[in-house]
Amino acid sequence: MGLRRRDALAALVAAPAAARAADPACGRLGLQGQVDLVANAFPAMQHLAARAEQCRSREFKVSVKLTPQVQNETELAFASAGRSPFDAAVVSQGVFSNLYSRNQLYPMTELVQRHRERYALEERMLVRVDREVMAIAFMQNTQHLYYRADLFERHGLAVPSSYPEMLDCARRLAAREPGIAHPIAQTFSKGWDLATEFTNLLPSLGGRFFEPASAEPAFQGAAGVEAVELLRAMLPYMSPNALASNSDDVMNQLQQGRAAMGVLWASRAARMDDPAASRVVGRIAFAAAPSARPGGRSASHLWWDGVAMPRNGRGNREAVFHVLMHMLGPDAVAQGNALAIWVRSNYQPGRAGVGVRLAHQAGAPVWPGEPFFSLAHNQLGRTLPDALTGVRSAAAVLADAAAAYRVSAVEKGYIRGTRTSA
Amino acid sequence: MKRASFLRFSAPSIALMLLLLALPMAMTLWLSVRTCTPELELVTVEVTGPFAPQQVITQRQTLDAAGRPVERCGFVGLEYYRKVLGLDRTAAREAADAAPAAKGTAAAAGDAEGTHNEFLSALGFTLFYTLTTTPFVLAGGLALALAMNGVSRRLRGAFIAASLLPFIITPVVGALAIKWLFRDNGLVSSLLAEVGVQIFWMAQAWSARLLIVVYGIWHVLPFAFIVFYAGLQGVPQDSLEAATLDGASRWQKLRYVTLPHLAPLVVFVTLIHLMDAYRVFEPVLVLTKGAFTGSVQYLTYTLLLEENNPYKASAAAVLTLLGIAVLLVPLLRRTWREQRGGPG
Repeated sequence: MGLRRRDALAALVAAPAAARAADPACGRLGLQGQVDLVANAFPAMQHLAARAEQCRSREFKVSVKLTPQVQNETELAFASAGRSPFDAAVVSQGVFSNLYSRNQLYPMTELVQRHRERYALEERMLVRVDREVMAIAFMQNTQHLYYRADLFERHGLAVPSSYPEMLDCARRLAAREPGIAHPIAQTFSKGWDLATEFTNLLPSLGGRFFEPASAEPAFQGAAGVEAVELLRAMLPYMSPNALASNSDDVMNQLQQGRAAMGVLWASRAARMDDPAASRVVGRIAFAAAPSARPGGRSASHLWWDGVAMPRNGRGNREAVFHVLMHMLGPDAVAQGNALAIWVRSNYQPGRAGVGVRLAHQAGAPVWPGEPFFSLAHNQLGRTLPDALTGVRSAAAVLADAAAAYRVSAVEKGYIRGTRTSA
Repeated sequence: MKRASFLRFSAPSIALMLLLLALPMAMTLWLSVRTCTPELELVTVEVTGPFAPQQVITQRQTLDAAGRPVERCGFVGLEYYRKVLGLDRTAAREAADAAPAAKGTAAAAGDAEGTHNEFLSALGFTLFYTLTTTPFVLAGGLALALAMNGVSRRLRGAFIAASLLPFIITPVVGALAIKWLFRDNGLVSSLLAEVGVQIFWMAQAWSARLLIVVYGIWHVLPFAFIVFYAGLQGVPQDSLEAATLDGASRWQKLRYVTLPHLAPLVVFVTLIHLMDAYRVFEPVLVLTKGAFTGSVQYLTYTLLLEENNPYKASAAAVLTLLGIAVLLVPLLRRTWREQRGGPG
């Protein structure tokens, strides 16, 4: 979609100009000193960074570091024994759980109470843990089904609401549609992507990651094996390159008309209609991710991104909060509407902005909030490819992942001692 | 007096090397034998936000009187080395016992198939990459340098600039370019498909490894080329003329005059490339994320950034360093002997 690129470009071009002419609303506050932020480098963040920099003045420095290594930089800064070099960070939900569990987040409850009206803060933006505001969410994401509405209609196929139905559609399309040798495209790339596919399926199959109220692994049970078998059942309908296919590759396969369906990030939806990159403009429709088995809840997860402040901050919290709130104001959403699925209620979802609503309606759960989840996710990403290539059985691979996870959870202190009674 | 001026000249570089090389290495060693674990308590919290309210059972780090998170740090000796090398069977077995697999075949299957040793397979691919790229880089660089030496002076500038491009491009961008050529719908894949050859390059070990090796050669060849080309400019013309007068063929001149002159440069390029190749990282990250092609450096990266364990990652980094040292021993010994045996 052209608009998206233009917005991102405009934001980039506007940044230095805006920095020179400080925004009067922010300028009137007479802020002094320095505020340093860190965030991920994607177009919506470039837009927000340019807004934060509008608060700059002769007496007030604002810098926003945009980096793909935001998780690592944030975790190091917030864990630092001295003062954090960043006064606030843009965190995803997974990073938030880690930081919260480390008790490294500064509660923003009082700041929110004091300035709530001025910045029109909405309750759904406030991420509260036991009523304390620990983060302020501004955008959402999820994975949902992309499918070629034209091909489904031509072959009389119904939109699949479960994975078995999806496999059936894939089988029929592969047989009847000459241009589509591999109807399904999904992010099966080794590591984070493949582990996320497993994470989507497991709860939908009634499985759970951990034993109740503990960090002991439970994902290697029968539901886990079933999830891996389901992933394996998809492979015949996917490009043999699937184990190296990340979001970019899947987006490309859909845009080029080589794939007819797949579960992919909602944030990629708008680009299906970008005439510069897509051969299928207007032909891809969206639906909730199918459930793993018929009648189950959607096999996907809900995500948010938000801002959080470190406990070891530099004591300029009021100024930091003003900058953050200016950055996330209602007009940030209005001006960058197409750049993200925003949390604020003035967001106007277009054709491609329906993902989170679809996932919500289909019962997709929130991304796991346990701080040790990322360790399990990491081990799954490393070992699952062996089960898909058939080198080892699903059960053996999951047992291996569980054992490796347990070792790392002991190392990180989430499981005490080296042995618990089984 | 002589000694004093020697010290004065070398002190800045020695200080810099201590600060930028020795100190980080010592710190990595120090980290690799330690670990820190936070003191955690089990808490149940209610989380509200953009989505429906949730009860989450989580662990939270306890705070000390000053409000700082409590952490216990200590010496663990070689524990992380054993774990990275896959020698720590007890921890793995205990973990496997404590995390029982699905009933039935699972545990038995796990035993029968053996546990997978990530470090050894990463080491295997790293050595494969290092040893396959080196001869191609040397031979290709030399061939290109000889060819360039024969090109007319007017064209040389443009040719040199063009052949240096792969070396100038950032590794991640170069690897991405290779990936885009070979993925589904990529230029090379599509052209091959046109003539009836359909290869899914990331789908099996041989082709994924081949792509990374091809990237490695493509990226480093210009470096070997430019070094050899510079060396060729210094080949003594009188020796070459004398050889011609003695009736030497082109091959004989190359074999007995040019190559011996370039020998130290061959050692130099090999040394640098072995060090570089052993740390192969970007193409693995970009092309395969380690599927079929895990490398030692990529393993360190995942330990640090994904497992988020700087102590274990330090152990892996020290092991990488040891690996490089072992690889370089023969070459360093040779250089050492030459330096001592040489004039002065």
